[in-house]
Amino acid sequence: MRPYYAPGLALLLVVGAGAFSEISWRSVRPSIPEIGRKELEPTLGQGVLLGILGGLRTVVADLTWIRSYVLWERKDRPGCEALMRTACALDPHSRYFWENTGYAIGFDMAHWEIRRRGGYAKVPAETQQRIFQQYARRGIDVLVEGIGHSKAPAPLLLCAAQLAETKLKDHALSVRYYQEAAESPDAPWFAARICANIMWEDGRKAEAYRWFRKYWTERMLPKEDGFPDDLRQLRVMEAGLRLKPEERIPRPTWER
Amino acid sequence: MIPSLQRTLWITRVTFLEAVRQRFFAFLMVLGAAMVLSSVSFRVFDFGHGELKFIADFGFGGMFLFGSVLSVVMTAQLFFSEIDNKTALTLLAKPLSRSEFLLGKFFGAWAVLGVFVVVLSGLLGVVMWAREQELVAMAEQAGKVPVTFSASGMVQFALLQWLRLGVVIAIVLTVSALARTFLFAVVVGSLAVVAGQLQWIAQDAVLKPTGSLIYGAFLWLSTRLLPNLQQFNIGDALVLGATGVPAEAVAEVALSGLAYMVAYLFVGTLVFRRREI
Repeated sequence: MRPYYAPGLALLLVVGAGAFSEISWRSVRPSIPEIGRKELEPTLGQGVLLGILGGLRTVVADLTWIRSYVLWERKDRPGCEALMRTACALDPHSRYFWENTGYAIGFDMAHWEIRRRGGYAKVPAETQQRIFQQYARRGIDVLVEGIGHSKAPAPLLLCAAQLAETKLKDHALSVRYYQEAAESPDAPWFAARICANIMWEDGRKAEAYRWFRKYWTERMLPKEDGFPDDLRQLRVMEAGLRLKPEERIPRPTWER
Repeated sequence: MIPSLQRTLWITRVTFLEAVRQRFFAFLMVLGAAMVLSSVSFRVFDFGHGELKFIADFGFGGMFLFGSVLSVVMTAQLFFSEIDNKTALTLLAKPLSRSEFLLGKFFGAWAVLGVFVVVLSGLLGVVMWAREQELVAMAEQAGKVPVTFSASGMVQFALLQWLRLGVVIAIVLTVSALARTFLFAVVVGSLAVVAGQLQWIAQDAVLKPTGSLIYGAFLWLSTRLLPNLQQFNIGDALVLGATGVPAEAVAEVALSGLAYMVAYLFVGTLVFRRREI
């Protein structure tokens, strides 16, 4: 029995270390979001492995992105999309990758697909519309995934809203994204106004006025200049809704 | 116990001095340092990652790549130079046990890798700190929130890298104790590093239920025998706070590294005891 004592202990030590490693991996796994993503599987052979092996992920993501541009110029849809998604997967915190991947899929690739099928003259208008919507949906999906990784989601929300408005023609969805963008901490000044305009043009006039008025009162009025252009927009809405003077926004001292 | 420790320390000291004087060590150190320093120039090729992340990734990549090469090649070279030059025979004829010899080799090589990690992470820290000052000033002017880096996170990352390289050294010594040639030890050691970096795939798979008993057993065995080296690559989260790491998770990873080192060194000692020199 004695000769097996040391090898047995060695085996026990290795197995014990392995078991402990499983516990530590569970705690540390959420800190490495770059690895284990489905998007990386088709491109493992293209040097991306290096990125997964440790360090250099940013550099490999950049090189992958440059390569995706080559394929973008060749209008190679599957290759371009795979590499762009790989870049996003390698560095999920980069807004640039998500934004441009979403735009490329949502705006450019539908045109490539139509050309591949024979061009705008040959492909029926309904089919073209379906293709535009199909790719817009995919572009939005990419952007939504990016929003999940982003600390400042407003730019990606605006991209999604733009795609939903212009390509998907889904104004309700577009308004939802614009509202989210306007209400996020890094909201740009124009998000709320565009949101209100789309709602207004969609026939949701009272709702558009109520939301924009609340937004302007809470987030714009307290700021230095009070956003006079947006107030002017609100006055146009008040006139359009034929509101009584007492129902309108009280006139600030600085309003011309 | 104390004489044994003294003998191990003596071997450690000799191994350390021998390794530090090697041109190979100096060459890789210079390459790694050049990679860290050049990251500032290469940032023009960056696509919106944030400069600090780009610089950090460049440095982490250099530490990973050159550190792995150094730990595999240098360890095997230090071990086989003793065997090939027959100095091991002279040493082991004295009152020095084989386990003391192997442990001395391990600690000597690990100390050299410690110097490597400290120099590179120190340099990376200085580069990032200098760039951070400029970026903070620019962000304040633009009214943006500046991205900062954590010095304590850098220290934790350096420690984890040192532990990772320690695990690699322990594996290479175990392989060297078994191998007949330097080349075999280097090739198997390098493959072990690659396998260790990809071990997480098996570890992720083992957490999911599987219908096949053989597949399940294979996964279980591979996750136990191979170390998970990927768990040490949490530099982004530690230094730039990209996703955040709980303090206990860092401690668990460190303990896991220590457990693997002890286990592989024990196996290596057992194998080396039975080896004919």
